Amino acid sequence: MSAAAPSAHVDPAALERRLHALLDERYHDKHPFNVRMHAGALTPDELRRWVRNRYYYQTRIPIKDGVILAKSEDREFRRSWIRRITDHDGDAQREGGLELWLRLADAVGLDRREVASLRNVLPGVRRACDAYVELVTNSDLLASVAASLTESRAGTLLGLRAAAFEKHYGWIAPEGLAYFRSRTTQAPRDAAEGMAFVLTHARTAADAERCVGALAKKCEILWALLDAVEWGGAKPRLAPAAQLRESEPLVVLPERAVKLTGSGREILAACNGTRSVEEVAAFLRARHPGAERVERDCYDFLEQMQKQGVIEAPA
Amino acid sequence: MSAPAARAPRPLNLVAELTYRCPLRCPYCSNPTNLRDFPDALSAEDWARVFREAAALGCVHVGLTGGEPSARRDLPQIVAAATSAGLYTHLVTAAMPLTAPGLAVLKERGLRSVQISVQDAEPKASDEIAGTESFARKCELARETKRLALPLTLNVVLHRRNLRRVREIIALARALGADRLELANAQYHGWALANRAALLPTHAQIEDAARAVAEEARLGAKPEILFVLPDYFRDRPKPCMGGWARGHIVVAPDGRALPCHNAAQLPLEFWNVRERSLASCWADAPGMNAFRGEGWMREPCRSCPERARDFGGCRCQAFALTGDAANTDPACALSPEHARIAASHAEPARGELRYRERTA
Repeated sequence: MSAAAPSAHVDPAALERRLHALLDERYHDKHPFNVRMHAGALTPDELRRWVRNRYYYQTRIPIKDGVILAKSEDREFRRSWIRRITDHDGDAQREGGLELWLRLADAVGLDRREVASLRNVLPGVRRACDAYVELVTNSDLLASVAASLTESRAGTLLGLRAAAFEKHYGWIAPEGLAYFRSRTTQAPRDAAEGMAFVLTHARTAADAERCVGALAKKCEILWALLDAVEWGGAKPRLAPAAQLRESEPLVVLPERAVKLTGSGREILAACNGTRSVEEVAAFLRARHPGAERVERDCYDFLEQMQKQGVIEAPA
Repeated sequence: MSAPAARAPRPLNLVAELTYRCPLRCPYCSNPTNLRDFPDALSAEDWARVFREAAALGCVHVGLTGGEPSARRDLPQIVAAATSAGLYTHLVTAAMPLTAPGLAVLKERGLRSVQISVQDAEPKASDEIAGTESFARKCELARETKRLALPLTLNVVLHRRNLRRVREIIALARALGADRLELANAQYHGWALANRAALLPTHAQIEDAARAVAEEARLGAKPEILFVLPDYFRDRPKPCMGGWARGHIVVAPDGRALPCHNAAQLPLEFWNVRERSLASCWADAPGMNAFRGEGWMREPCRSCPERARDFGGCRCQAFALTGDAANTDPACALSPEHARIAASHAEPARGELRYRERTA
């Protein structure tokens, strides 16, 4: 890649087109889990798992916005951006997004204390959300703002979601949908502000690349979050192609072999096609009550095994 | 059977090249161009012994390949022998002359999985590359594989003429119910090197294909898609065979035990399983030990921090392009001979193909 001269001019219209093209391609509205959600195909358990886990993402938003605030020397910028924190945390006049999300939790039949404790957040979800805070922490102000531009699609997505919930998930009380409604107006306003900032401050080709890169990473994070939610309910079993060797901890597959370490064999044995990933982790926890990190290790291991084709989870 | 020398690592995989005969004539075939020097010298009984010895060495998997393994009429007997040796038995086939009833027989004998090659998503283009009408049969055998509940891998070699149809190829794999899709960018050995000017794609083609694969892979779990950027388009070499004589043993149709099937072209001494045990061919043949480990490496490999990852690249490519197999693979940007790879990109593209000779 040739280095751009410092004075290389960025055409704001061209940058805006690139950012939108990226969102067209990678925004999580196309994720199979979201597609099923909006088509009314999720079971109550799946919806609850999503509500419980997505709450962790909601809690990260004001934290990452605090990080962004701390990067700016500009009073005007901070005065405007701080509104995002109030939108989620609330103030004396009105409830914020976090409270509205807990009302959604109530409405789908979850215990809001359990949700708020973040105790049962899936490790893959935690990893994805923490990666967002880390991305913002390690980027400059411009790229951190660019990462937030997924908001430019959130208004439409949440409008669609509110309608889909009313139509397909009649068992959820309408008070539960207040979060989606509040965001259909907040998100477009925030997105317009973020886009204007990015297009004004991205001056060099390198700036433009950083913005596109940060937004791409953010799209990956949202996608990974849903992957993890989906995976939590999967009921894995050994793939038909996989052969577990009896004489040694080794799984043989077409043209490859996977070595098992630690309690790998025990975890695989628990994958009988009727236990969900969450239940496999609970099963292992019950067998090793004193061990550290059983759940996390179990999820990580099963994720790897799935990527390598050792286990599969029929829909 | 003599015990393997301590320095020989445990091989996990045996590649059993049952014959170099094949009804297809693909111009990128990586089989040796001097096919007639490799007669089918091993009987089914010989193969049975090789399988038992491979299992004793630690192999857990055998790929039955060629050429076209189903060109051998004793294939069912060979599959049964591999299975009873305790190996995971995987068939790599062009789906000719193998038929649906023939595949059912192989499953009965213990076959665990099947890889079928298709040359393109477009029937006419596929047949043109194969040099024979075969596309419809391949699709039919792929469906039969799934009907028999055998795991199916679809393999498509990518090159200048089919790279633009990579999305159609993925759609074909989905339609056939493939569990795995290997998008194998042509490696320039054997016939492929002779046809390089007609097959080598442009950088733009490779980038477009990589993007299409990433998008398609995001949208669906199946098939698992393998797409590795070809070494001609990277500045580091491929970790060829996972290292020379490290995890794979190839037994060629003539009985020679090799670290990879192109290695027969190198001026090295390999031993034959008709004369010695597989363990001895693996551990003690001078050719097997020629490039094992790191002792043979010269600069820039010798002091390179990446040598444990790519093992210096491909010995056969180093030999074919520089005349010395101990040189750094010229696909590496650190190789003093890297310009040879760069020059190939500047060669004018050629239209006509030189087809592999017909052998079955």
